[in-house]
Amino acid sequence: MFLVASLIVNGIILGLIYATIALGFSLVLGVSGVLNFAHGILFALGAYMYWVLKDLMGFWPAMVGAALIVGVIGIIVERVLVRRIYGEDPLFGLVITMGFAMAVEQVLHMIFGAAAKTINPPEFAQGVLFIGDMIIPYYRLFVAGFCTVILGGTWLALNNTSFGAIVRAGMYDSEMVSALGHDLPMLRTIVFTIGTMIAAISGVLASSIWSLKPGMGAAFLMPSFLVVLIGGLGSIRGTILGGLIIGLTTSLMSLVIPRFVDIMPYVIMAVVVYFWPRGLLGKQNILE
Amino acid sequence: MKSRMIKFVTCICMVLLVGAFSAFAGEKPIKIGIVSPVSGNYGDHGKLERMGMTAALKQAGGKILGRPVVMVVADSETNPDIAARRARRLVEVDGCNFLMGSVSSSVASAISAVAAEKKVLYFATNGNSDSLNSDKASPYMFHVAPSMAMLVRGGGKYVANNLGKKWFYLTHDYSWGHSGTAWARKSAAEFGVEEIGEIKVPLGTRDFSSQLLQVRESGADVLVVTMAGFDNVALLKQLAEYQIYSKMKVWYTLMEFVDMWPLKPEQRQAYANVEVYWNENSKTRAFAEMLEKNNPDAPCPMPLDNGTYEGWLAMKILLAGIEKAGTADDVTAVIKAIEGLEIKDNMRKYPTKVRAWDHQVLTQIDLIKANPEATGPDMWEVIDEIDANKVARTREENPINVSISN
Repeated sequence: MFLVASLIVNGIILGLIYATIALGFSLVLGVSGVLNFAHGILFALGAYMYWVLKDLMGFWPAMVGAALIVGVIGIIVERVLVRRIYGEDPLFGLVITMGFAMAVEQVLHMIFGAAAKTINPPEFAQGVLFIGDMIIPYYRLFVAGFCTVILGGTWLALNNTSFGAIVRAGMYDSEMVSALGHDLPMLRTIVFTIGTMIAAISGVLASSIWSLKPGMGAAFLMPSFLVVLIGGLGSIRGTILGGLIIGLTTSLMSLVIPRFVDIMPYVIMAVVVYFWPRGLLGKQNILE
Repeated sequence: MKSRMIKFVTCICMVLLVGAFSAFAGEKPIKIGIVSPVSGNYGDHGKLERMGMTAALKQAGGKILGRPVVMVVADSETNPDIAARRARRLVEVDGCNFLMGSVSSSVASAISAVAAEKKVLYFATNGNSDSLNSDKASPYMFHVAPSMAMLVRGGGKYVANNLGKKWFYLTHDYSWGHSGTAWARKSAAEFGVEEIGEIKVPLGTRDFSSQLLQVRESGADVLVVTMAGFDNVALLKQLAEYQIYSKMKVWYTLMEFVDMWPLKPEQRQAYANVEVYWNENSKTRAFAEMLEKNNPDAPCPMPLDNGTYEGWLAMKILLAGIEKAGTADDVTAVIKAIEGLEIKDNMRKYPTKVRAWDHQVLTQIDLIKANPEATGPDMWEVIDEIDANKVARTREENPINVSISN
């Protein structure tokens, strides 16, 4: 019983992490209609920037520094590459961002080398919490809490601010937003930058759990895509739901049929897309 | 202007002619196709095996029988279909009579099938599944890596007697992982071991929290792990995170130095079989220093790892075989020359032998214990040096014969 409870708690923690990783991907896809396959490499860049900065300035400043550096890279990517393909077939976005991701992966390889790097959790989050036989590393609890703040904060900002209202409107009809006098290119730049910074912060948080490698982003790109497809395009609540479904499935499946852990998210995605083509909580969106 | 143009064209023609005459005058190079992962989970291991092959070639002066030897590298991407396609291209387009590499047993099986079809010689490096020299054995393949039978028998007895007899298996879900668990099961009666459970983990898994929660609750004495690559770096880290070492001992049926090196000292507490350790003796130490000096982009310091050693050994065996056969064009003659070959200058306590009937290369295995206090690359202590001849499968256990000598 303790084992099942442990796996459920673990699944929720994993789900919150997956949802946060997918959040930036979902926002950019929702507002700009761009399949940002550079999301994974921006996640990896965040982790590497944190690795460089953490010994110089400590956990919190290093995390902010990593997010800012990757955010600036995000602005450049949006201005130079992504802006050219707004309104075009989403496939163009996929190709151009994937090309960028492959190039940056090689740059990371050249600068930081091929060897994996590991990072210990910050001092304040080391150790484990025991509840009976249940064991939860403090760092994972901290990450789950932090992810909740990011997800909740983004949801509140989108639903309770005028900027959020414009972003939400942009998800349904970007032309109308533009016709009403809002600066659509600037809106897209801001959302792309926010998405980039969330990817970087996710990378920082994940680096102390899963280790660093230039190709690490690719491993988390597809789960992000699945989270968005399952949860629903343009829905923060959908992204959280999608993340939790993947996290809980991954965790509990390892108890039932461990070798199906990888396949189950795809099966769930296929079922969801068959019955709910927009995802579980998806609504009409910019791609339609 | 016109005369300058004529002079320029004449110079170009001269250069081309000199190049053409040199090609005719020199010996035709011997091409060795290297199918090895440049990217993916085993990218580091691929780099190491290629470093070993290059080192052996350099030691031989880059030539054999007066002919230059050239390595033509293709990325296997650790994918059997891609590896087979690239191996076929290396033979058909690049004209390679010899193939080398793999890092994964599934990839090795795929390349072996191409080698058998094209009748070229293939050296399977760094793939340890038993099937490579039993049901998937071929007269055209030599299996350089120790099989899982050798590894599990080599270290298993010590583990059962000293670490505990209740074993839980955590394995990569493909032929290599299955092979490790299968041999541990076969040896269980001999070692007096009880199986507590097993979890098969898909390749590419990065988070092991769910699996490790089950391992913690299992009541096992020893967690027997058959995993490698970047997945394993993440697993090693999470073994410490979930305090597995305080509940049980951890034994890797095969560990790569490059996987454990990135970890903090306190996260390295496992026992493991390895195919070589860089600080095993003065010869391995000197070789590792040379490798480090010549390969500043190596994925770890003192980069004499399992893959490096196997790459080096494969190239050394091939060159010795070609020299003994007196030809590189007759593949059958080279295979016959290699069957039964003994390599004494292998830097180890026991010599390397190439067994004729199953094409298994028999090389010493080490059982190591990680030193959690070590801060530099000397992070292991060799507990036992195991003679592969004593732990390899016998003919009764593996009744096949792929030898073409008899």
